[in-house]
Amino acid sequence: MSDLVKAPPVLKLEDVAVAYKVRGGEIEAVQNVSFEINRGETHGIVGESGCGKSTVAWAIVNFLGANGYVKRGSIKFQGQELVGVTGEELRRLRGDQIAMVYQDPMQALNPSMRLGDQMSEVLTVHRGMDQDEAEERCIEMLERVYMPDAANVMKRYPHQISGGQQQRVVIATALLNNPALLIMDEPTTALDVTVEAAVLDLIAELRRDFDTAIMYITHNLGVVARVSTRVGVMYAGEMVERGTVEQIYARPQHPYTQGLLRCVPKLGSDKASSLLYPIRGRVPPPNNRPHGCIYAPRCDYVEDRCRNEPPKLRKLPNGIWVRCHFAEEINPDEWQPSEDIAPPEVGVADLTSEPILVVDDLKKYYEVQGTELKDVLGLSEKRYVKAVENASFKIPRGTTLGVVGESGCGKSTLIKTLIGLEETTDGDAKFLGFDITDRITEREKSLIQELQMVFQNPDSTMNPSYTVGQQISRPMRLFGTVPKDKLREEVIRLLNSMRLGENYYDRLPRQLSGGEKQRVGIARALASHPDLVLCDEPVSALDVSVQAAILNLLLEIQQEFDTTLVFIAHDLSVVRFFSDQVAVMYLGQVMEIGPAEAIYTPPYHPYSEALLSAVPIPDPTAKQKHIRLEGNVPSAIDPPSGCRFHTRCPRRSLLPDDGQICVTDTPPWREAGDGHRIYCHLPLETLRSFDPVISQEGS
Amino acid sequence: MLVKDCMTRHPIMISPETPAVKAQNLMIENKVRHLPVVGDGKRIVGLITRDTLMVPPSDLGSLNVWEISRILSDIKAKDVMVKDKALITIDPNATLESAAELMIEKKVGCLPVLEDQVVVGIITEVDMLAKLSELLGGGAEGVRATIRVPNIVGEYAKIFSAVSAHDWGIYASGGAVTPKDPDHWDIVIKVRRASKDELLKVLQDIEGQEVIDIRTIP
Repeated sequence: MSDLVKAPPVLKLEDVAVAYKVRGGEIEAVQNVSFEINRGETHGIVGESGCGKSTVAWAIVNFLGANGYVKRGSIKFQGQELVGVTGEELRRLRGDQIAMVYQDPMQALNPSMRLGDQMSEVLTVHRGMDQDEAEERCIEMLERVYMPDAANVMKRYPHQISGGQQQRVVIATALLNNPALLIMDEPTTALDVTVEAAVLDLIAELRRDFDTAIMYITHNLGVVARVSTRVGVMYAGEMVERGTVEQIYARPQHPYTQGLLRCVPKLGSDKASSLLYPIRGRVPPPNNRPHGCIYAPRCDYVEDRCRNEPPKLRKLPNGIWVRCHFAEEINPDEWQPSEDIAPPEVGVADLTSEPILVVDDLKKYYEVQGTELKDVLGLSEKRYVKAVENASFKIPRGTTLGVVGESGCGKSTLIKTLIGLEETTDGDAKFLGFDITDRITEREKSLIQELQMVFQNPDSTMNPSYTVGQQISRPMRLFGTVPKDKLREEVIRLLNSMRLGENYYDRLPRQLSGGEKQRVGIARALASHPDLVLCDEPVSALDVSVQAAILNLLLEIQQEFDTTLVFIAHDLSVVRFFSDQVAVMYLGQVMEIGPAEAIYTPPYHPYSEALLSAVPIPDPTAKQKHIRLEGNVPSAIDPPSGCRFHTRCPRRSLLPDDGQICVTDTPPWREAGDGHRIYCHLPLETLRSFDPVISQEGS
Repeated sequence: MLVKDCMTRHPIMISPETPAVKAQNLMIENKVRHLPVVGDGKRIVGLITRDTLMVPPSDLGSLNVWEISRILSDIKAKDVMVKDKALITIDPNATLESAAELMIEKKVGCLPVLEDQVVVGIITEVDMLAKLSELLGGGAEGVRATIRVPNIVGEYAKIFSAVSAHDWGIYASGGAVTPKDPDHWDIVIKVRRASKDELLKVLQDIEGQEVIDIRTIP
């Protein structure tokens, strides 16, 4: 359609409030939310968890459940009021014109039906199309979302395809009816960065081709910057700021938006831009919101007026809508971190000091049990999943090694092997000179004490019926590091250094928020005064402001106790600021290892380059090279010959013979100086000649 | 430039059971003049326009004032819509000019765009006019010239090569037979990076052509 013709917005929310009826009254989960989405536009909704983003989405399609309802306001879709519409008409609208895509594709797909049957059902049931034609349409749509081998995928079950492919199927299904509005609720959160990047490209393309209006809900500021045209920031059930992406990122007006942007690492050109400043406090629960401005208790600029008078959403001269009394007077450039949230000073670690952990050619294979009789009797040749292959590195005392890579590349296996949860297949690992290739059950108690671990999901690693105090004191008792009568004192000291305080001693895990649980998890790992702490994605499940606080806390602890850390993450921007050394892994193989700074500038390994170009950056003006890996991570049972990355390597063609050597020979380690090593056939000069992946506009 | 590139995708649609009063309100509130009426799966069943909602004055005379509101509230979209043979539609892959011809021939202001009887969009006179305006460069800055040329092969090329020799850009062009003179064509071009006088001089030098209008678009 021509730009000249002004069309009414596809979706328009005005002063919407959503309430849930609970025992003893009702709770307004969402208040005063207004925004509109035009056709062919992606409108991002960001905010931390519990801010009511999903509730707004559910209110639009009336999925609020038996006890939820839209209390005030109007939701207009294509000019037609949705509030109060029930039954047949709503069903028709939802099926024909509004589609939703959720975070976990596995929950949107029926595990017991073939994908083709689930997809074509949309057309046969809703449109009365016959089966053959419907299937043809489905295949067309799958090809449209770049599904490899679409016709075959139709015959498979959901578990037979990867997570990224599952999400593609869900998106394709959502688009089959050519909806006017597509609501996407964290559609890429569960995916790897490389897959995420491809899905985001796809969304942008589909929006253009189908002129679909998209409401995109996410907590990731980088993703919003990449896909949205306009963005609304939600906090504690209210929309606090709304504007175009460029405006919001360049000049956020609300203190909460400013705070959020300071919480996320930028992955810019210099390291200072990746310093993190958490927001103090936490989101108030909906039944206990402050009277005045909802953000007042956490705001740095709070004044008496904020505590007494709730601000209205108003339009500033520059076009941004903001809910703050003093938006014009606040200048984020003059902001100084207050003492309690200032990031710790990070000194340059001495990478030449005595290594605490030396790993040499470490291998971890898992035997695969075949299904044939021959396999069961043990007559056939044994097959292995080569989860970790030839890992070699040294970690000097008091430094951090960051390990990055896509899921399934052996990051977790590597540290599980180090800590002894898995037996080492081959190779050497020496910790303080002691061999640690055996299982944890065969280790000396004193050695176990020195090696501790922080897990990704604090919920599943804490005993729900033990109090915080019991959980933290347990390692102290077991290892006898603290005399019995001093236990409580020591636990409280640890809690204080985690900024949790004495009153947490008797709480149960269910009484803690996600961030607090992770702090307890870290406290427990530190309780035995270990020399080496292995952290397996400790912040991945947390909100950005909590993530920033935990990362800063870990840094502080490292300085205080001179602890050595191995830090696994899939987010390259987090790792950059946090680590002294970074190892990039692919299919069990370390592809590149070196000082953190060196990893983020050329020379790159082609895989690191691709990973960097996939990371969503919370800055719409940042220019990023567009490199997308094709296909999936190959199976580790039968890894590609030669260089394991050769099947997906975008730089292979730079070698003579279209990179035949990558298929036949394992690559050499290229030494780029300062301990920076790259596992690639390409000569260093070629690797050096790559442009930096990320550059700022105008520079 | 096909129908699918110019149409409005995802038009506002109503069901046959929608009251006519509501349809009227929808049109006024959203400033649209046409509402496709669709059944399950967005299959077309009819079209509501402002005309269809008009009641002929002759019918009004016989109505009791007190009955009007009751009668009106009973009328549904399916009672007043254009349907069956009277409904003119088009395929998304049709050309823009064929859509225009169809609209002129049938004297309709809008065509629902259908793919297998499913509404995928709507194209109206306004969309057509918007495209016409874009074809002629809209309001973009530059110099606009109208040149009358003989109706023979190669005249366009003369203009284009003369202009591009100066490294100026032609960002819009269009031509049609001169009114009441089948031996000539009037060609409109819009040129960037040239001043009015420079362009005029170049165009006047082309043999056999006549510049009949030239102006600067601010």
